[in-house]
Amino acid sequence: MVRTVLSETPALPALFARATLSARGRGGDLPDTRLAREGVVADPAQLAGYARVCRFPLGDTLPVTFPHLLAFPLQVALMADRAFPLALPGLVHVRNRIEAVRSIGVGEALDLEVWAERFARHRGGATVDLRASVSAGGEEVWRGRSTYLARGAQAPEGAPDADVDVEVGVLDRIAAQWQVHDDAGRRYAKVSGDVNPIHLSGLTAKAFGFKRAIAHGMWVKARALAALSGRLPDAVDVDVAFRKPLLLPSTVLLATEQVEGGWDLAVRNASAGTEHLLGTVRARR
Amino acid sequence: MPAQFRKAAIVGGNRIPFARANGAYARAGNQDMLTATLDGLVARFGLQGQTVGEVAAGAVLKHSRDFNLTRESVLGSRLSAATPSYDVQQACGTGLETAVLVANKIALGQIECGIAGGVDTASDAPIAVNEDLRRMLISLGSAKTVQQRLKALSGIRPGQLLPEVPRNVEPRTGLSMGEHAAITAREWEIGREEQDQLALRSHQNLAAAYDRGFFDDLVTPFLGLTRDDNLRPDTSLEKLATLRPVFGAGESATMTAGNSTPLTDGASAVLLASDEWAAAHDLPVLAHLVDAQTAAVDHVHGGEGLLMAPVHAVPVLLARNGLTLQDFDFYEVHEAFASTVLATLRAWENPGYCKERLGLDTPLGPIDRSRLNVHGSSLATGHPFAATGGRIVATLAKTLSEAGPGKRGLISVCAAGGQGVVAVLES
Repeated sequence: MVRTVLSETPALPALFARATLSARGRGGDLPDTRLAREGVVADPAQLAGYARVCRFPLGDTLPVTFPHLLAFPLQVALMADRAFPLALPGLVHVRNRIEAVRSIGVGEALDLEVWAERFARHRGGATVDLRASVSAGGEEVWRGRSTYLARGAQAPEGAPDADVDVEVGVLDRIAAQWQVHDDAGRRYAKVSGDVNPIHLSGLTAKAFGFKRAIAHGMWVKARALAALSGRLPDAVDVDVAFRKPLLLPSTVLLATEQVEGGWDLAVRNASAGTEHLLGTVRARR
Repeated sequence: MPAQFRKAAIVGGNRIPFARANGAYARAGNQDMLTATLDGLVARFGLQGQTVGEVAAGAVLKHSRDFNLTRESVLGSRLSAATPSYDVQQACGTGLETAVLVANKIALGQIECGIAGGVDTASDAPIAVNEDLRRMLISLGSAKTVQQRLKALSGIRPGQLLPEVPRNVEPRTGLSMGEHAAITAREWEIGREEQDQLALRSHQNLAAAYDRGFFDDLVTPFLGLTRDDNLRPDTSLEKLATLRPVFGAGESATMTAGNSTPLTDGASAVLLASDEWAAAHDLPVLAHLVDAQTAAVDHVHGGEGLLMAPVHAVPVLLARNGLTLQDFDFYEVHEAFASTVLATLRAWENPGYCKERLGLDTPLGPIDRSRLNVHGSSLATGHPFAATGGRIVATLAKTLSEAGPGKRGLISVCAAGGQGVVAVLES
């Protein structure tokens, strides 16, 4: 295993460009590589912008989804590298799991480490998990697992089956209606750094096979969690499946249901009922 | 501290006729209407130049320049400038809440008299600049160098020049109050016809009250209006039945502009005092404010209707006062929507709901509907949010006083944010 500690956060626009230019001719197994950064502190301005766009209250601890933003550039760097077997453009985020061991203070120095694992077979291609581990003072405080689907790709011989579904109970009570405007992708891109062109405009999304620009899955997840602000414990597991893309603009409905140990969530299109997100939120034991 | 509490007396009230938005009061602001209403009260009870204990009032839609709305209105009124004042905001519960606050200070002996009120305008609404533009302007204001200023200005986009108009939408749910009420109406299977009937009665009762002069000492004409201009004395079930539903969807949509309150402009005020102060000033005591209760429900994730909080507040109030729901001569249930009143009554009659949601072994039971909103309510008068509580308190106090001593009335007001304020008045 090769572990590389980066001295600064890689710039995402350059990574997306490099990944797009080197998309062809990839293959093989996942690289046995880990990328790390040490002593990362959240930028207060970025945090404030993120909180506003996702509707989290701005406070002295990080929103439970925020560490994903810190680790994401490292994950993209891993995927943009030629050694990564799948082409980054066209990868679809289909599931995201977060394990928050405890709340993280805004000023805490965080050590990040990311890697790829679990190359799996999916009926529509292959999936891979991008992992992130966040530690403070040598103690792991946050773990993330983003499952991406590469349509038409093939997992290696003997790969396990993909694991992309999240089981939820009946969700028929509407907690909120969101008008998601056509600039939702650009707004989230600005605060998250995730400038993947499929989120930015109809034109750039069309180039990658989408009818219109689509909302970031992690924004939908964050906003759903923000709707439960004040009702979640600090130590919490959040597991969501991203179903059909949320095309911009859209009106969507958030459904929530309190269950044993936490909440079940769904975000669906207001008129067609198309499922965009299904998720569970559970207190860690 | 006083040895014991005394119940605050309701001496009387004053309001201006309520006007449908963008009509008779389109050019009047909150401060204009509140000042005129206070002056009407001053004239009615001979308070010129006097210092009252305090004035508590508020508005739901309030411009930021009106941060001291009540104090500024008092300064512009004929009350003594030495009258302390403060603003209250509890959405549609504001008007009743101010009466409770003033009554409580009187009950504690901290003041001898006070004025409670509320005002709202949907016409002269506080339009705000676009949120992006607002943030840009703030960073421009704090910029110290030319470069910083240019950077801030570079963020301007044409779309940001569109202002933001206040919407009647719950911030956390994104649903309008009407859409929330439509969900509750569907859950409680409230029919179209019973809503229209309730609306019709509201108009008929209000018209009859005006015709017999009931409001002569409760309302002061303003800007050419002498009656609430939403009042339709000649409406009928047939006319109401022709209106298209405006909230809800499909077959189950039953809520129309006829059985929902319109956006309205108006103001109201109530004079409260100790019995001693009223006697010393040769003023009547219409009724006493006996007790009050607030409640809130989880309308976001809790599966309870946005406007159902008064349903929860009333049993607490009844229990504390050793009363049953049937121990009242009059009921004032604010008609935010006809379906809200009907869902409230149905919930109190429902054994399962009363047990599971209210923790009651037996339901509160039905009320005598002929005692409900006997002088009309918000469907007919209109509903300038913060002014509704004062309208109801003064109307009910006079109703009780007319009926004779020892009569009792219940007030129930629902409010945005899943809140409710309820109170008991006694003559």
